[in-house]
Amino acid sequence: MRSEPLRVGVIGFGKMGLLHASIASGLDVSRLAAVADPTTGVLDPLRRFKPDVSVYDDYERMLAKESLDAVFITSPTHLHASTALACVSAGLPFLVEKPLSARASDGEPLVAAVARTTLTNAVGYMARHVDTFRKAKQIVDSGVLGRLVHLQATMYVSQLFRAGQGWRYDPAHSGGGVLITQNSHLIDLLLWLFGPIDRVRGHVKSYYSEKVDDFAHAIFEFRSGLSGYMDASWSVRHHRTLDLSIAVHGHAGTLQVTEDDVRLYLDEAIGEYQSGWTVFRKPDLFEGVTIDVGGPEYTRQDEQFLNAVAAGRSVESDVQSALQVQRVVEAVYESSANGRSVSLEP
Amino acid sequence: MTIGTLDPIVLGHNSFFGVNHLSREQGRQRDAIFEDTARIVDMMRTAASLDVAAMMMSTHPRAALVAAAVRREPALRERWTFYPLLPYITKYIRQSNEKGLVNLVLDQLKQAGWSQSLGMVARSGLGFLTKDYRRILTTLIDLELAPFQSLRVGTVFLHDVLTDLALALDLPELLAVHVEAVRNRFDARGGFATKNLPLLVNRLRAYGFERPAILAQVNKAGFGMNPSRSLCEQTLQRTDLEVMAMGTLASGYLRPVEAFEYVFAQPAVQSIVVSVSTPEHAAETFGAAQAAARQRV
Repeated sequence: MRSEPLRVGVIGFGKMGLLHASIASGLDVSRLAAVADPTTGVLDPLRRFKPDVSVYDDYERMLAKESLDAVFITSPTHLHASTALACVSAGLPFLVEKPLSARASDGEPLVAAVARTTLTNAVGYMARHVDTFRKAKQIVDSGVLGRLVHLQATMYVSQLFRAGQGWRYDPAHSGGGVLITQNSHLIDLLLWLFGPIDRVRGHVKSYYSEKVDDFAHAIFEFRSGLSGYMDASWSVRHHRTLDLSIAVHGHAGTLQVTEDDVRLYLDEAIGEYQSGWTVFRKPDLFEGVTIDVGGPEYTRQDEQFLNAVAAGRSVESDVQSALQVQRVVEAVYESSANGRSVSLEP
Repeated sequence: MTIGTLDPIVLGHNSFFGVNHLSREQGRQRDAIFEDTARIVDMMRTAASLDVAAMMMSTHPRAALVAAAVRREPALRERWTFYPLLPYITKYIRQSNEKGLVNLVLDQLKQAGWSQSLGMVARSGLGFLTKDYRRILTTLIDLELAPFQSLRVGTVFLHDVLTDLALALDLPELLAVHVEAVRNRFDARGGFATKNLPLLVNRLRAYGFERPAILAQVNKAGFGMNPSRSLCEQTLQRTDLEVMAMGTLASGYLRPVEAFEYVFAQPAVQSIVVSVSTPEHAAETFGAAQAAARQRV
């Protein structure tokens, strides 16, 4: 471990910028050195209350003037790729918020540029750091479920019941609606757990929004032979927080996972797992974090990224894996538009 | 009202507002039951008959309905003490996802009748917000506390998301404004909810806060205790703070008797907040909590 804390910069000071700035400021491994946001007045509170943090209305000036060790990129989605590319040019490790870009094609030059370096890079798919999904990954990787056959995955949140305001509802800035915004977490989890998807059939629907999707459905065929459906909406009632759920049926057992618990059913005992139901609830899986601001998964994600920067290592959720999420998202939109299945190039 | 004493047993709002940290499904079921405010008031009558007459209440939209019902009924109004938890953060996170953080603050101020200042925002950006931050934060706190007007208010806790943000960014000003606003406008005590108990307690001491009231997870399972159960237990040995313990049953993971014995064995714990959903559940839960509290005395 290095003795001097990493000097962290944050680009974009909305809700996620504030969150990452707080975590970087609260961890011992790093300190918040600079923040950039072009919106008039947004940085005034920082200027007043955190005089040791430099503020900029232009991130390129921040990158040029500050000697930073790592950057969090939390600007609107359509700016992610170009901003991350600027970090690559400056030789700066970065964590960019999800989704990677508004269009998959915007992310491709970034992935190519990163591939020519050894720069630590990460994408904010924090659901991978939720206790229950970490446990699910362990179980899936252990192979106890046998050959995986069928999948049901859903994402619901009661968020939007009239046309929304702001960049998130302008597809030029966000890339789309619920499918690419919150539901990209679910797609990332599915790819992480079950590997590449080869074929997609999708259907999306707008009801409250004019230009973006409020409902999305898809059938996925994975390269492994697993297939099943995904259903997502931000316009359903009775989900006060974002609820993710994945159920997978295998030859030897079934796994159901939500943010509340992991339920494993095995036909026969295998290794450390008994036959019948085994339930892991949140208190069984809880591990404390150094500082919790907005959820332990964010701390784990940011700590993993910053420790990787300090050690010159890579992290698993990187631009390459995030580009695969974008390709699946786009295939769902394409399939919905033309009414046919879409194959993803291997 | 007395400043500096927490009621030993406080009725929690979670089952009334559909919050269940162990099972969202169960949360949704309870939410449907307590959609009818009258059922919440019934549960308050049950609690009072069991000698529990204090209630934690986030500033959920349903809180205003409950507060109005209590105001109409003198027997309830005179007996009950409220412990507001503000703001109702889930609403703001959803709104911030929908319209962004800046629009969210502006819309709130608009609600509070700040139309003139909003003209200034249009002209000069958000800069004025910082100059006048005490007034702005006080206005936002007033707006959140409006439903509790003319009711007895014990301690007003700042939501852990905001406390912990102030903690991580090292912003004592935000914490101080909360205490000041609550004292000046409501003659009540301002306290802090947190997910980082040891860190907060050390920092508050450094900031010079005396005998702070803190709402934090304390349970035998160590669930939600950061950075670890053992470090939290060390902090709970101290006697220069007053802790209201929440999550004592780890959302139903622990049995009441062992759970409450553990919690009341921690010297800093003065009080617990616990949710109940049926009269039978109330009798069992409060009975076990009162027994554990008596044992300590």
